[in-house]
Amino acid sequence: MSILNKKQIQYIIFGVIAVLLPILTQAKGSTITLLASIGITAIATLGFNVLLGFSGQISLGHGAFMGLGAYISAYFVSQMELPFFLSLALAAIIPFLVGFILGLIALRLEGHYLAIATLGFAVVIEEIFAELSEFTGGWSGTKTTYPIIFGHKFDKLSVYILIIIILVILMILTYNFMKSATGRALVAMKKSEHAAQAMGVSLFKYKLLAFSISTMYAGIAGSLYIHFFRFAEPKLWGITLSLDLLAAAVIGGLGTIGGAVVGVAFLKVLPTVLQMLPVFGDFDGLAFVLTGVAIVVFVMFYPRGLINIPNDLYHKFFKRKRAENEEVKA
Amino acid sequence: MMNSVLKVENLSISFGGLKAVDDLSFEIGDKMIYGLIGPNGAGKTTVFNCITKFYTPNSGKVTFKTNTGEQINLLEHSVHQIINYGLARTFQNVELINDLSIIDNLLIGAHSQYKTSALQQAFLTPRARREEKEHRGRAMDILNQLGLADKANEIAGSQPYGVLKNVELARTLMSRPKLIIIDEPAAGLNETETEALAEMIKKIRDYYHCAVLMVEHDMGLVMSTCERICAINFGKKLAEGTPDEIKQNKEVQEAYLGKDDDDAEN
Ligand SMILES: Nc1ncnc2c1ncn2[C@@H]1O[C@H](COP(=O)(O)OP(=O)(O)OP(=O)(O)O)[C@@H](O)[C@H]1O
Ligand SMILES: [Mg+2]
Repeated sequence: MSILNKKQIQYIIFGVIAVLLPILTQAKGSTITLLASIGITAIATLGFNVLLGFSGQISLGHGAFMGLGAYISAYFVSQMELPFFLSLALAAIIPFLVGFILGLIALRLEGHYLAIATLGFAVVIEEIFAELSEFTGGWSGTKTTYPIIFGHKFDKLSVYILIIIILVILMILTYNFMKSATGRALVAMKKSEHAAQAMGVSLFKYKLLAFSISTMYAGIAGSLYIHFFRFAEPKLWGITLSLDLLAAAVIGGLGTIGGAVVGVAFLKVLPTVLQMLPVFGDFDGLAFVLTGVAIVVFVMFYPRGLINIPNDLYHKFFKRKRAENEEVKA
Repeated sequence: MMNSVLKVENLSISFGGLKAVDDLSFEIGDKMIYGLIGPNGAGKTTVFNCITKFYTPNSGKVTFKTNTGEQINLLEHSVHQIINYGLARTFQNVELINDLSIIDNLLIGAHSQYKTSALQQAFLTPRARREEKEHRGRAMDILNQLGLADKANEIAGSQPYGVLKNVELARTLMSRPKLIIIDEPAAGLNETETEALAEMIKKIRDYYHCAVLMVEHDMGLVMSTCERICAINFGKKLAEGTPDEIKQNKEVQEAYLGKDDDDAEN
């Protein structure tokens, strides 16, 4: 019982279920694609949550960092013929460094410069992706293959399993990190800058740390994206993707680990379900509109996010019962 | 005073035309409990904010004897560095992290004491675990000392103001300070709680070997705990001395004229 209460164990159980589900149900290719896409976006959202949910900063350019990771990974695997895991590591480290440098400039200034700087970065980098055709294939995009790991050629299902394994590892690491002294410093900074400063937290240093870490997650997600879909083009990594990450983090539950997964799943599955209804069947921008509406609804009416609904419901009924009992006593 | 932990010299700061602190000097001896008093708006909190670099004073010098015995001018350091040298503070309006537990709030107070990196912490390396355990242990000790142990796992936001004031006081001790500066620790406490606080402050000084600089409106508390007191008004020093000297000082009496001793303001 108590071992099941450990978050790390819960994340592993989640991972096992996520892996077994498509295998046992012999899911169609399109279902695996949907699940993989949720897993990949959840990794980026997890990182976004470190930034927004724990340190209270906003980025509008995380999609661009995902793109950076994707192209880096494809380039090193296909053109430099580096092993997959080395390319994945580079796809994490290089965006981390780029994020660090961008943060170094944007976070010196107080206020919401990070949002503006990252938005600018996203616009510029989209152009760069298009121009650097040797590296990215330009507007027509670039292709790569499923990864080959230790001589073993992966297929669609095995890449999906890899995505889930990496997601679960990152969930556990993020959880440990958030419960650590560094994580507490981030939370303190978000809730009371005065308290954080008085306790020795340098706002600049910790904002920079949170931002660079979150760009690293985006890079990893990008690498997995391109090795699952085996194709990428510059327009994938624009503001729409960045806003999706923001929306998923908010809807799932800011500052929670599971919320990243739940929020992404909600945003990916709901449009698919609604599209099956005759009313919405031929409504093209449905997902986009829905995302916008969902953000507003959650921010206004349920800022704690989807992940907290079961817990809140439980407490509501539990508390009410207790209150009634107390009335009886009195 | 030969062995002072903090020496404030000619400190001044103005906001627009208002001189909030005006050429103020005072000195706090090692392990001394020192009071800074004055009517509302006298500039007491502003003095705290200058010492801890939340504000940058227009002029003056603040010499602090650090943990390692070095003499430094605090005004040459950034706000987040101050605690590293052994000076921790509380806030008049309580700055805690409401949605964390009380023990986690204390652990934030230990931030300056952590040596492991974020990476070591994420991978839960043995060193990171040991460090976390050590500080958790210290936090429980401090909560025990201050009679808050049973509240360790309560969410800070759910606790009454009086408890939060004490938690904030407890938090300062996590940094192994040489000097703690506390802004109106008795605000929101009733008479018995205030008496208990007086005992606690003395106990803290004896047990943790730190000096205490306190701003407080409750004259009973100030007179019974402080060894020396500095009274200010309109940012200027009125008098400095032992509690008895301060009580008998004409200017101090005038500044407080028409005010009851226990006219504590929140
Ligand atoms: N950041 C600021 N900007 C402008 N004026 C300020 C600022 N901080 C303090 N003051 C002014 O400086 C004066 C001293 O304020 P301060 O808060 O230090 O008083 P205090 O002695 O702590 O009073 P109290 O007992 O009510 O807490 C007041 O007139 C206040 O309005
Ligand atoms: Mg004040």
